[in-house]
Amino acid sequence: MKKIEVEFTLNGKITSLSSYPNRTLLDVLREDLGLTGVKDACGGEGECGACTVIINGRPVNSCLIFIGQVDGLQVMTIEGITPEEGYHPIQQAFVEAGAVQCGYCTPGAIMAAKALLDSNPHPTDQQIREGLSGNLCRCTGYTKMLDAVHQVIEEGIND
Amino acid sequence: MWEFDYYRPKTVHELKENLSQPGAVVLAGGTDIIPKMRQRKFTPTILVDTSGIPDLEFIEDQGEQVVIGALTTHQQMAQSELIGDVNPALKAAVESIGCIQTRCQGTLGGNLANASPAADTVPALLIYDASILIQSLEGERTIPLESFVLGPGKTDLRQGEFIHSVSFPRLKERWGAAFIKVGKRTGMAISVVNTAAALILDQEGVISDARIALGAVGSVVIRCRQTENFLSGKIPGKDLFTEAGSLVREEMRPISDIRSTVDYRLHSASVILTRALETAAFEAERRNQ
Repeated sequence: MKKIEVEFTLNGKITSLSSYPNRTLLDVLREDLGLTGVKDACGGEGECGACTVIINGRPVNSCLIFIGQVDGLQVMTIEGITPEEGYHPIQQAFVEAGAVQCGYCTPGAIMAAKALLDSNPHPTDQQIREGLSGNLCRCTGYTKMLDAVHQVIEEGIND
Repeated sequence: MWEFDYYRPKTVHELKENLSQPGAVVLAGGTDIIPKMRQRKFTPTILVDTSGIPDLEFIEDQGEQVVIGALTTHQQMAQSELIGDVNPALKAAVESIGCIQTRCQGTLGGNLANASPAADTVPALLIYDASILIQSLEGERTIPLESFVLGPGKTDLRQGEFIHSVSFPRLKERWGAAFIKVGKRTGMAISVVNTAAALILDQEGVISDARIALGAVGSVVIRCRQTENFLSGKIPGKDLFTEAGSLVREEMRPISDIRSTVDYRLHSASVILTRALETAAFEAERRNQ
């Protein structure tokens, strides 16, 4: 198998790399680029949402995308929304609401919440539930995630 | 992960050339085939990635009919006002697929080529008598969607061919259409049974055209013509639709599998068809006012 050249914007920076085409975006982010905020919980089935990243404004599972498919696109991971110091307002709200327990599903859930709030700053409770329905949590539960997103909406702090 | 030769064409013509190689298959969104390749259940030798071809991503109003490019995502269809107006069953179907992450990546062409008996877009397109435009380096052909899917995972696509787009005519005057599915839960659940129904009423309020499709009750999504004929020429009503729900059981050949049983599928298909017909009739009658 021949390697391919891929160029895309990752967290605001143009990134060029060479990779085998049968590697997923998730593989490359974690193994080549060290962005381990992106998680794999279901083993690449697209069932859990832990590997959610935002591509051109849309939340997608990075385990279901071959690296060649992101050529020319804008990819944002949890690292890209985290400021140098402190947290992004959605991260802060998740912490304050207690929506982080083991933390494994948290980056994916936050990226799904971010994509939702970017496209719809005032979603209804039902829309929040739908927006997070692709993100499985096995310890904290979902109520606190909903609380966190409601808090962001009420305070108008998603930037 | 399975190994393959990889191509990423930038134009439809390049796609045709790449696909003309023996063994070449299309990668659309990838939400279905990437996990299958990881598990070695799908092992193509040549993969042609279509993500660099914007020309196959469109929803077009051609007046009499609507045309949807094969690489249009479920989310693009869900957000399309045109599709909501012209085919509310399709809108409901695409909104029900997977979760936001899979809807943003999965495509219409992928859903059709994947040929799952539980594919949610298929019933909503079958009730509109949708056709598929298939292209290859040799030329193109248009076939009814109904004859495109041949069995689970099997389609009429031949070597070198790909789905270009799907088109369906508008329903006219007093019409209504609905889609309902039953799954284990709302998010991320593959349909146990799904149905789409459309009704067209004449000036007297009599059903002039009834169209019913059921998914996951056989090896392919089916049109239920006996039940359609039964409804035709009758006045819409709850009792009629309940009877249609019972009659339709004779047209189904469901199996028991990991997702459900024969009995549950027969029963729930009957119930959701009755409800879909009620919704379609309500919408058709509302259009008269």
